[in-house]
Amino acid sequence: MALNLVVNGQLYSVDTEPATPLLWVLRDSIGLTGTKYGCGISECGACTVHVNGQAKRSCVTPAGSVVGQDILTIEGLSSDGTHPVQLAWKEVDAPHCGYCQSGMIMAATALLQKRPNPSDEQIESEITNACRCGSYYRVRLAIKRAAEMMRA
Amino acid sequence: MTAKSEKTASTAAMQRREFLSAAAVVGGAAVFGFGIPLDARAAVRTGQYWSPEISTVPEINAWIAIAPDDTVTYRIGVTELGQGILTAVAMIMNEELQADWKKIRWEYASANRDVKEKAPAWSLKTPGKEPYSTDPNAPGGSPSLPAVYRNREGSDPREVSWTGVYRRMMTNGGAFKSLTYYYHLAGAEARERLLLAAAAVWNVPVAQLSVKDGIITHAATGRTTSYGKVAAKAAQTPHPNPEGIKAKTPDQWKLLGTEQKYLHTPHVVTGELMFGLDVRMPGMLYAAAKACPVWGGDVKSYDANAVKNMPGVHSVVQFPIPDRGLTRAQRFSGGVAVIADSYWHAKSALDAMPVEWLIPADVAKANSADMMKALLASMDKPEKVAVNQGNFDTAIARAAKVVEATYTAPHRPRARMEPGNATVLVTDSRVDIWIGDQSPQETLVSGSKLTGVPRENVYLHLATLGGGFGRNGNGPQAEHAIMIAKTVKGRPVHMIWSREEDWNVGTTYGAQCAAKFKAGLDADGWPIAIEARTAMDTGGSGISAGLDHFPYGVPNYRHTTNFVKFHVPVAVRRNTFPPQIFRESFIDELAHAAKKDPYQYRRELLMRTNFPLRDAQVQALDMVAKMSGWGSPLPQGQARGISLEGEHDGVSGVQAQVALVSVTKQGSARVLRSDIAMDTGFSAVNPLAVKKQLEGGVYWGIDDTFSVDFQVKDGRMVTSNYDTVLTARMDKYPREVNIQFFKSERWGASSPEASMHTVASALLDGIYQITGKRIRDEPLNNHDLSWG
Repeated sequence: MALNLVVNGQLYSVDTEPATPLLWVLRDSIGLTGTKYGCGISECGACTVHVNGQAKRSCVTPAGSVVGQDILTIEGLSSDGTHPVQLAWKEVDAPHCGYCQSGMIMAATALLQKRPNPSDEQIESEITNACRCGSYYRVRLAIKRAAEMMRA
Repeated sequence: MTAKSEKTASTAAMQRREFLSAAAVVGGAAVFGFGIPLDARAAVRTGQYWSPEISTVPEINAWIAIAPDDTVTYRIGVTELGQGILTAVAMIMNEELQADWKKIRWEYASANRDVKEKAPAWSLKTPGKEPYSTDPNAPGGSPSLPAVYRNREGSDPREVSWTGVYRRMMTNGGAFKSLTYYYHLAGAEARERLLLAAAAVWNVPVAQLSVKDGIITHAATGRTTSYGKVAAKAAQTPHPNPEGIKAKTPDQWKLLGTEQKYLHTPHVVTGELMFGLDVRMPGMLYAAAKACPVWGGDVKSYDANAVKNMPGVHSVVQFPIPDRGLTRAQRFSGGVAVIADSYWHAKSALDAMPVEWLIPADVAKANSADMMKALLASMDKPEKVAVNQGNFDTAIARAAKVVEATYTAPHRPRARMEPGNATVLVTDSRVDIWIGDQSPQETLVSGSKLTGVPRENVYLHLATLGGGFGRNGNGPQAEHAIMIAKTVKGRPVHMIWSREEDWNVGTTYGAQCAAKFKAGLDADGWPIAIEARTAMDTGGSGISAGLDHFPYGVPNYRHTTNFVKFHVPVAVRRNTFPPQIFRESFIDELAHAAKKDPYQYRRELLMRTNFPLRDAQVQALDMVAKMSGWGSPLPQGQARGISLEGEHDGVSGVQAQVALVSVTKQGSARVLRSDIAMDTGFSAVNPLAVKKQLEGGVYWGIDDTFSVDFQVKDGRMVTSNYDTVLTARMDKYPREVNIQFFKSERWGASSPEASMHTVASALLDGIYQITGKRIRDEPLNNHDLSWG
């Protein structure tokens, strides 16, 4: 059946079953491959997107449950990589391989929208994404730097 | 599944035009004349024109092409997987070429071209990089066959040529070390030919020219030109004496040794960087695969009829056990796959399909506990005496005190974030494989052998890997995908392993490992005899790490090893070598038994030797002790652990780490702060990459120590996803990490990830100091650390 999804401000009519996880609709139907598959059980966070401004793990989110809602993916964060979180990420060179970083960036952006000046404790409890290269040190630096830039 | 919107349709058309115009610029049209319109959207933006078999911008040599607008393209023969290697390779070439670093772009080199084209003679010179020579031009021996090829049991060891134009397209530290000189020469050869071309245009002696940032200057006449302007001529100008080309010596380096951000970072933060999982081809089908969960097993039966009418299903196929000659002798399984119009449809049908397996009877009941028992028992009768100095047996008899300890480590997966995948298009005459791959030359051979298409007609289009940690986790992702795709000739098939498939069947593991240490101390607490016995799965790596070149001074030292053969596939895992951790834990145990400070105890034991790396090791300890405020008072519930990495000789990396550890009374442990001192030799290529790897190693060691415990039961790996293991995240990572480098007069060893070892034993000793509990069998999550 056709589902109407609003992704990055654009309306897509997607022919799929409502139970299909949003992750695979984004990647296979719409062609937005920045959102990654890591675990499929909402544990690793590589698939994190925003739904109505909240971080959401798209691998366990049925596409049918977010019809008409405001979905934001890494591709929609900015047109040219100049969102403050992206700028901060580049400034501290946070990524190693980069695979988990779309999810990290989306999780961090949602955190900063909620808490413009997050404490270490808040960063640790909110950013539960997995990175197997071990980018956590620079991810923390980047979140703090982005917070500074967004407050300025 | 299909998606459509008006805007999407027009975007797609625009993207196609964008691709065609980009293809025209770079010659992609000729390359892909076979008619594969790539999804070039990401490729164009990220600068990855895949497999440039033909270049229409002037190609100076196989690694370097320069466009008229001075854009320099470096072809990278190794795959980026987080270690910064593509940036490092580009830096090395640019150090010699001296182009404008801001005008650099990169693409992966073509494994197909490597099959067809021989390496030029000048590039076959071997580096004079013996451990203590800093001169890259020093004479070397004749090229020897890298061990990794010799070890390919069951196949011709020379099956993969490494004298093709890109030499050894193998992404690991050893290959990188052996190739750096080659990259230096590629940059130098190109530079000299560009200068010769400019000299010919101006009719002046080449010696009068200089170059900086890609601008060539003739000082006497004030004339300037650029690389882009003379590139076409240089491409036609052979070097008159290529054997005489010399690489710069390290004292002349300007770019190398400076911190450079990763070239792929800007494409990561926009989500555009293309991983294997992101390959999209017109008409592409998706496949989900499932192999027999017991390694070496196969399919007994399956019921395709049960799922063939499920949404989107194209076909159901069976694939055999991959030829062990194509999987480095590893024993993987045969399986089934569903091919469908989307991955979700493929996976849903596969999960719903009844499958019965042929389980190898001899291992049907194998489990981790029994395997560990076998390892522990094996050490009662050492198989090999690796080191025997002095006389351990007579010395231990006169010890004032004897200390014994047994350590174990479980099987551990690589678990890269990107699940195994590959996209394959098979026709009768040609095979195309899109993949992130640590060993594309071997995968190309698989593409040929599994289809019967000659190697010259197999094309590998490299993508970046979402982590590696050992040849794609060493699993047969490419082999599965090729066997599946050849059932649908003429259509690309994008195969993805589920996370569970990737961890349970598609990887090799860091081997189970056990060690028994015994030491005799004199009346002052100093060791007069040490014995280290280790045991590991056959095929495991690092059984003697840190022990065969034992760095500490002890007059009687014996080290023995035992290998026990299990059916679990094991191989190198991000240089994680448990014996190195055990050694440092045991030194801590000796220091505490002697009631001495673990830092001073190590220092004294090093000073009792005259080994080549002694001074660097002492320097690392002193530096890190100072950085960490070693010895200064700490609140209750906190302690510092210290650890040293490195052997006494050779090129192994020297580093020391202090971990500031806290444990709450309820037993929640954490590393609060990490201080690391590391010897980079006379220079690191990219110190920023070294820092990032040190930081990454700290995570790896912490996660291993806390949470990684992969369990075999009934012959199969039953640990399958992130909900039960690999759970150390931001909340376990130290908030503060301090790194300092020091230099020494030798080639540095590229093992910064060894911070995983140093953090592990330092963490364990911190826990001991706080709680009195000495943990010798990780992971910590299996232990109660409460105290007080």
